[in-house]
Parts: sequence; structure tokens; C-alpha cells
Amino acid sequence: MPATRDHPQPALRCRDISVNFGDVTALSEVSADFAPGMIHAVVGQNGAGKTTFARVAAGLIRPDAGEVIVAGNAVRTGNVNDVRQAGVELVHQSFALPPSFTVAEAMEFGASGSGFLYSRRKLEQRWQAHLESLDVKVDDRARVRDLPVEIQQSVEIARALVADAKILILDEPTAVLSPSGIANLFERIEKLKQRGVTIILILHKIREVLSVADTVTVLRGGMRVEGPIDCAGINAGQLAELIIGSAAPREINADDRVALTGAGTVAHAESHSADTTAIPMLEMQSVSTHRDAEGPALEDVSLVIRPHEIVGVAGVEGNGQRSLVRALSALSDLAGGTISFEGTDVTRKPLSGRRAAGLRVIPFERNVEGLSLSSALWENWSVRELLQKSLLALIKPAELRKRCAQALTSWSVVYNDVSQPAGALSGGNAQKVILAREMDDDARLILAAQPTRGLDIGATTFVWQSLRSARERGCGILLISSDLDEIFDICDRVIVVLSGRIVGDFSAPYDIAEVGAAMTGAVR
Amino acid sequence: MDDIIIAILRSGTPLVYVTLAGVIAQRAGVWHLGLEGLMITGACATILGIYLSGSVVLALIVAIAACVVGSILFWFVIEKLKANPIIAGLGLTGLGLGGTALAVQSIFGTQAAVNAPFGLPRLGPAFGSYGVLSVFVLLMPVFVFAMWVLLRRTRFGLKLAACGEHPFAARSVGVNPSAMRLAALMIGGVFCAIGGAELAAGSLQIFAQNMTSGRGFMAFAAVIFGAAHPVGAAFAALFFAVVGAIGIRAQLIFGDNVPHDLLLGLPYIATIFGIWLSTRLRGGNKTAASFGELRDY
Repeated sequence: MPATRDHPQPALRCRDISVNFGDVTALSEVSADFAPGMIHAVVGQNGAGKTTFARVAAGLIRPDAGEVIVAGNAVRTGNVNDVRQAGVELVHQSFALPPSFTVAEAMEFGASGSGFLYSRRKLEQRWQAHLESLDVKVDDRARVRDLPVEIQQSVEIARALVADAKILILDEPTAVLSPSGIANLFERIEKLKQRGVTIILILHKIREVLSVADTVTVLRGGMRVEGPIDCAGINAGQLAELIIGSAAPREINADDRVALTGAGTVAHAESHSADTTAIPMLEMQSVSTHRDAEGPALEDVSLVIRPHEIVGVAGVEGNGQRSLVRALSALSDLAGGTISFEGTDVTRKPLSGRRAAGLRVIPFERNVEGLSLSSALWENWSVRELLQKSLLALIKPAELRKRCAQALTSWSVVYNDVSQPAGALSGGNAQKVILAREMDDDARLILAAQPTRGLDIGATTFVWQSLRSARERGCGILLISSDLDEIFDICDRVIVVLSGRIVGDFSAPYDIAEVGAAMTGAVR
Repeated sequence: MDDIIIAILRSGTPLVYVTLAGVIAQRAGVWHLGLEGLMITGACATILGIYLSGSVVLALIVAIAACVVGSILFWFVIEKLKANPIIAGLGLTGLGLGGTALAVQSIFGTQAAVNAPFGLPRLGPAFGSYGVLSVFVLLMPVFVFAMWVLLRRTRFGLKLAACGEHPFAARSVGVNPSAMRLAALMIGGVFCAIGGAELAAGSLQIFAQNMTSGRGFMAFAAVIFGAAHPVGAAFAALFFAVVGAIGIRAQLIFGDNVPHDLLLGLPYIATIFGIWLSTRLRGGNKTAASFGELRDY
């Protein structure tokens, strides 16, 4: 297409891109033209192919078919150096900076040209100036691992701009940020746009798309269903319809729809208050832990969860969520305080004792902590009861296989055979296996840590429904999530953690601005 | 006093060279347990080279070539055939120990030690009593410094460290971790060859079966002890040499009052102690999370 005034040459043009991972089609003949000097959003649910699309454009994945054309010139697909040469840079969702590097080293290792040897001082001078020009306030001698996530992201953006980037792609940059962090990011992006950089944002919240982007492209199931179209010409409802699609797996209620797409404010229609006279399912009194490598220690955390109650934990990641789960599941020693389940002190009980008392955990990393990927499904499913038995208790595999098959079927897990390894399942099905194990009839207190991360719409709503029905049965539930929409949708109460402390306690109706302010310590 | 220092430098120098090979591999993300095999290959090739060609330079070239080929083989097995690097490294060690024995057997028809007519060039009378040491002892600090510059003051070093620590980060700026690992292992091969040559021909002029007797593993321990920092690891290697020298000295002093085997075991006990200490000081090795596995993401 010749460049004309009405149709300037696209900064980035993707033509008929198809990507398959084994049997799974990640992208299917996706074409899109991105005009220069604008902010483009690419939206879609998990599994829609957004990250794959970004990585193809950045040269990290070689598509099975299709072309990537930067400013009119085709680049060799799947070749990062070629693509970077052409001025395309990608900022990853979970940042790609070696944690032990200093900020200056992280800048330098991705740079090109200008000398082979360097002295530390020369390096720091060069990159401090670069960081200042981008308004990133950070000591460039600091190590990446010691930086808060928002600063890490700024550093990664600065890293992407060390060369003369013309197109900057950001993969889900808002997923790890607090609401105010998102506002700061969007300000930074507007500034880059004024410098003439073309921005492509991979997002999944409609609210964010409409507040920052000029155009929007919608992906669903690896296909482009719309766009890029002008954001002025579309409203939140229409976008939600495009993202979810008409062929949604089951009826999704209005609140869940809003929560899935971030299209507005969750009304939280089904809020109900728990019985405050009932014996609390969980009572933590002034619990503190020791600091370790995985995050800040808990400091003086007191928390009550009653039966029939879902309590949400909001907070920027790395503010003590993992310490909280470890403290409750007896995986770390307490420095002080007490924990009781249903009025019984379990502070000194090991995990097995707590599980016997009804504690169940849906862990953060389903493929690492939740399942043994190389073990059979029935083995993964039956560990719950096997671990409760005595060391020499007889195991009856045939019976366990049969019961496992029944359980998995009732949780609508799609699988071939209970003897297949857990690693062969998709993310949604793998999570359902964990639910089938952890949400049994004896469950009393359920810790659900990021239970929907990376799951598609069907699996996400399934998890939400499961948590709600556990609440109906009288369980107490602690839901840890970095997705505020999810928390607002299904939680009866929300606490906010910051640096290992509880800094806020909210109940419906929630105000995203108030909760967001608590997440960054702007109030109290 | 001089004789103790000479003894330490004699036993420490080969160890330092091999340690440098381990450092660069570790930085690239490879736990190199094949150091022992490459070291003995270097030792054997040097002595055989001198014996058969009569030229030290030619012998060193042969030793370096042999160790670099061994390193490429190691890379191929762990990178292309996706074998576990720990197992493959131990395999390389077995190959080196067995292969050198086989080479000696097939050339000389006997398992006896091979004597070369001369060894590596010595420093000479200008250095007084230190003149008995080989030139590679004097070059050792130079190589340590050069390795430090390469790893800590060049972009190559940063890219290499990124490949070891966060390969996905390396890939996303267009660095190929596999190619960087090959480069690191090949450079390591050169250092293993020098270490082996120094061991067999630096103060001696002899090759005997299994003459490395675990020095490659001790070098690996020094890599961990020194947190994969070239200077730190070199000092760790020298520390092990010091302990070894003390052990020998103690034997002379105490005679039969202290069990002979205990004193000979001192360097190995120090190795275990050193690793325990370094874990205590640094709260665990930062690469331990991916123990031995090659990571691509």
C-alpha cells in the first residue's frame, strides 16, 4: 500500500501471522496495521494469543506463517537482532532483567556499539543521564532485585529505549501495578508518544484501554476479531462483547462480565454479610514472621475470617502475600502471634495437623507447588488423603484411580486417563485438578492464591463459581489476587497488604480509588 | 618460608587455572563437573606432546585443542542432546580419566607413568629460589585479572552473566544463550588445558594415571566458594592449596603421631568447610535454584 496522507505507511504491519505450539493454535492468520505515532491497545482474554502476538512482533517467536513489516521493510521473523535493528522493542510482563545486575549493567547488556571495555564510573554516568532523560528516578548502582516492581518496570522501559526505539510494545504492563502506578505508567507512555514513539499496549482491562489508547484491536482464541479501530468509535459494552464473544462457555452474570473485562465498576450485587457471632474459621492475632528471600515478613497481622465469608487480599505483588500463605500453612516459623482455626489454637501445629483441621491451599504456582507434573493425575489427586494416613498405611491404587476418575468428572476436568501425567493438562484443567483435591467436603478454610492467573474465561468463571459454592457450604475463604476486579466481584470483605502489614480493610461497595490508595500507602 | 610459598604456588597454580574455567562456565549457567576430565586431558596431552614432538609450544597447542574439543563435546551433549549437565560433566570426567589411561596404554603398551625429557619453561635464576617455578605461575595473576575484565568489565561478560542468570532476558535482547555457553565452555577448555599442563609439566615432567586426583572437583568447589567471581574463586583455590601445604608440613612435623590419611585429607575437609562457610555467608548460592539444569527461560 503506498503511503498517502490519509493512509500513512503503518509503523508496524503484521500479515497473516500463524503460530502453533504443538497441537495448540496460538495465532491464526492474524493481520493488523498499526499507524505511526499513536497508542494502540491489543486486548483479549488469557489464551487469546496476545503475548504470542507481542513476541512474534519482537522477534522472540518465529511464526509458522506470516510477515512482520516495520516501516515498510519486511524483517526476518524470529530474529530479535533484526527486529531491534528496525527499532522494535518489547517490555515483558514479568520483567526480563537479570536480578543481580545493577541498573546500569541492565542498561548496558542490551545496548549496542560504543566501546567494548567500560569502567564502572563511565557506565554509571552514561546510563544515569539516559534514565534522567526519561524521568526515571533510580540510583543506577541499585540492584534490580532490590527495586519495587513499578521502578523495575520503568527501568525495563528505559532498557528498551537504549537504542533508538521507534515502536515500543508493552506486554500486560498494568498487571503488576497499583492503580496509581498505572496512572504514572500511562503518563510516561503519553510522553513517549509525544516523542514520536509508536506504542502497542497489550492489555486486558477495557477501562485501561479506553483511558489511554487511540486504537484498539481485539484478539479472541488466536484470531483477530476486530481492529485496529478508533477508540472513540466504540464503548465499553461493545468491547466487552467482542472480548468475551457470544459463544461464551456458560452463562456469565453481569458482575462477572464486568470483572472479566474491567469494563466498569463491579456492582457486587450478591454481597452478603457473614454472621459475626459465629466462631471464626480463622483468627490470626498479631502474627509476625521472619524476613526471607521471598518477600517482606508479616508484621503484626491480625485477621478474622468467618464461615460463609470470602476475604480478599489486595496489594501490589511482593508485599507479603506469599509470607501470609506460608505462615498460615505452617511453612514458615512465626516470630510472634497466634493462629487459630475454629477456636482451636494451631500455632504450633504442622501443616499436616492444620490440614486435618480443614485447611486447604490452592497455591500460587500451580505447576510447581500445586501439582507434580510428572506424576499421574490420580497420584496428584490422592495425596490429600494419603498424606493424612500413617506412614505404613496400605495404598490401594485401583480404588484410588476409580475415585479420582469420579472426582475429576464431577469437576468437569477434560482428561484422557487418570494415569496420564498432570503436565499434559492445559492450565484450566490443571487448576481444576487442584480444586478437585483441595475443595473436598472436609474443607473448612481455603487459601486461594491467584487461583485464576493465566486461565481463560471459562476456567476463570468456573473457579469463581467453585469459591462461591464453597462459601455457601460454610467455608471461610482467603482469596489473594492482584486483579482488583476479581477481588471486588467475589469478595465479601477486602484487606490491603503493604510491606507485610494490613493497611486497609474495606467492605462492599468498593471504591477502586480508595483501595488503590491503600495499596501504595497513600492513606493511613 | 620460601619453600612453603613455592609448594603452595606449585599446587595452587593448576587449581587456579581450572577454577577460572569453572567460573566462566558457572557464569554462563553451566555447572561444570567435567573440569577433572579436561584437566587430566590437558596434562596427558602436554606430556605426550613434549615426548613425541619435542616442542613445548606444540604440546600446549595439542593440549588446548584436546580440551577445547572435549568442551565442545560437552556442550553438544548438554545443549543439543539435552542431557543433564551434572551427569554429562561426570561423564566427561570419566572420559578424560579413562581416555588418558587408554592413550598411554596404547602408545607405550604399559600403564606406567610417562616421563617427558623436559617440562614447561621455568622462571630461571633471575627469580632466585622461585626460579624453579614455571612461567605460568607468574602469568596466573595476569590471567585472573584478564578473566575479571572479561566477565565484569565487558558487555560480553554481562551477556554471559545474563545467559546464566536469566536466559530469557538474554534472548529478548537478541543474545543466543546456547552460543554464549559454547563460547564460555571453549574458553574454559583453554584454561583447563593450561591447568593440566602446569600440573604435569610445571614442576614435574611426568604424566601418571589419575594424577589430578580430584583437583578438578576441588576447583569446582572453589568456584562455588568464590561465588563464581574470578578473583574470589582464585583466592578460594589458593586457600585450598595453602591447606594442602599445611597438611604436608604437618606430616613432617607430627610424623606418626597423627594419622597420615587425616592430614592428606585436609584439603578435601577444607573444601567441604569452605562450601558450608560460603553458603552461610551468602545465604545459599544464587544459582542453586536451577541446580545443574540448563534453563532457557
